[in-house]
Amino acid sequence: MNNVLAIAHKELKGYFASPVAYVVIGFSAILFGWFFINLLYFFDRASMQAGAGFGGPQSVNVNEMLISPLFLNVSVILLFTLPLITMRTYAEEKRSGTIELLLTSPLTDLQIVTGKFLGGLVLYAAMLAVTVVHIGFLFAFGNPEWRPVATGYLGLLLMGGCFLSLGLFVSSLTRNQIVAGMVTFAVFLLFWVINWIATFTGPTMQNVLNYLSITEHLNDFARGVIDTKHLVYYVSFIAFSLFLTVRAVDSERWRG
Amino acid sequence: MIEVQHLTKRYGPTTAVDDVSFRVERGEVLGLLGPNGAGKTTTMRVLTGYMPPSEGKAIVAGYDVFDQPLEAKRRTGYLPEAPPLYPEMTVRDYLAFVARIKGVPRTERKARVGSVMERTRVADVANRHCGKLSKGYRQRVGLAQALLHNPEVLILDEPTAGLDPKQIIETRQLIKDLGGDHTIILSTHILPEVGQTCQRVVIINKGRVVAVDTPENLTSRLSGSETLYVQVDAPGAEVKEALEAIPGVTRVAPADARGSLVGFEVNSETGRDIRRELAAAIVRHGWGLLELRPLRMSLEEIFLHLTTEDTAAEGAPDSPSAPPEEAVHE
Repeated sequence: MNNVLAIAHKELKGYFASPVAYVVIGFSAILFGWFFINLLYFFDRASMQAGAGFGGPQSVNVNEMLISPLFLNVSVILLFTLPLITMRTYAEEKRSGTIELLLTSPLTDLQIVTGKFLGGLVLYAAMLAVTVVHIGFLFAFGNPEWRPVATGYLGLLLMGGCFLSLGLFVSSLTRNQIVAGMVTFAVFLLFWVINWIATFTGPTMQNVLNYLSITEHLNDFARGVIDTKHLVYYVSFIAFSLFLTVRAVDSERWRG
Repeated sequence: MIEVQHLTKRYGPTTAVDDVSFRVERGEVLGLLGPNGAGKTTTMRVLTGYMPPSEGKAIVAGYDVFDQPLEAKRRTGYLPEAPPLYPEMTVRDYLAFVARIKGVPRTERKARVGSVMERTRVADVANRHCGKLSKGYRQRVGLAQALLHNPEVLILDEPTAGLDPKQIIETRQLIKDLGGDHTIILSTHILPEVGQTCQRVVIINKGRVVAVDTPENLTSRLSGSETLYVQVDAPGAEVKEALEAIPGVTRVAPADARGSLVGFEVNSETGRDIRRELAAAIVRHGWGLLELRPLRMSLEEIFLHLTTEDTAAEGAPDSPSAPPEEAVHE
């Protein structure tokens, strides 16, 4: 475990010693702020209309109308930013030769992979932490329920974990950061839109595609529901990606 | 301490290392010598557990690097060809990180990092970022990294590459000092380095071991025939004749001439010392004997000799891959 933490610590230090962490966190915050303001105006108008009684809903729920869609919008930001976090993880180590240090140290491949994953996850958590400020304003001036907010963040953390583990795997396959970034982005996007075609397929295929979609599983979390079905999906997605990464690193040794 | 048995490593169709075997005793410094692409780095990468061998095995500090990699790695320090530095880390942070993953206990880390920095003379750049270091410092931080956990075995891939002459001397001295306590394998293509730092040399070419011996033995044994250089104060043609008449002399070739001085390279039959007869003959003729010394093949010449011999043998189609006669297998 000490080894895992050592690697995670090193990864984090690498993010924060370079502009990567600041750019990722800063620009995600700007985008999140933009989404937040838009949804806030929309919510504001909706609640005015509700109050005026023009046949709209009698009252509006800040969780349902504002926070939940906001969390779903965050997945768009992740789509673009998380590849930037993961694309360097293995590719850069391979290019600069530091991978030789890690692979000749008394560490197992699993420890290295897990450490890198944890490092990325902490950076991502820091990125999410900035958004707490916006939500904090809602709590200060309104009365949203905290439970759906908490489950929403849990869902985002798990979904981000999926993206990160997948990105780690892609990065372990190449020594070129750009290739790693582009492929990761494409695969993310594919998992994001995989169920768009679901309505045109048969009922079985529809279920399969919906199940595979990474964002489909976020809906319940954003609404405040922790369903084991979704937990299993996310956790197994992460575990499987990390497993593939370990195998990829190992096979690289054999190929030389 | 280190045992390499029939090590073979193939990358797809190309064979980088072909049936290499050698041993290194405890405390010994072994030089791995060969032209670029000879398989030095690949051999070292297998020894450090970076990659598994295709065939054969390697035992480091009593542990098979493939079956018990963690145990072997705990006892090995490795300086790769390119020092594995993280550019955004300071030297001190970097070494602390390496100490941590190499399993140096928390309480000893700081002291170890400090003493290793002293030893490799990088203490003055402790707070600089690795990415901003000069080549010489990068190389020495790489060496520091390999020493951190005080490993029994050190594997150094071209430890003096990129250093200036002063640093090269210091680093060689450091390696010499480390020998004895540590078992060291270093690779190089700089031949004098081998003579100065190593007790034994393994010469490899095209993935195969061409010779294993001490640097001294290599220089004396591989000369083939004995060559002497004689400088005489006398007319050249007469001297040549007189020297050729001495029993045991196989060839006399003029080497240089300056005024009335003439120099000759005299070859004799192997194992036959003709220095006395040579001197006596010259004195008998009343010439002045100004210089008489044995010409040893330098390591450079031996190296070229061994490696080009091998190429010549391979040039012939379907030639068996037997090593050349000069090869001294142990």
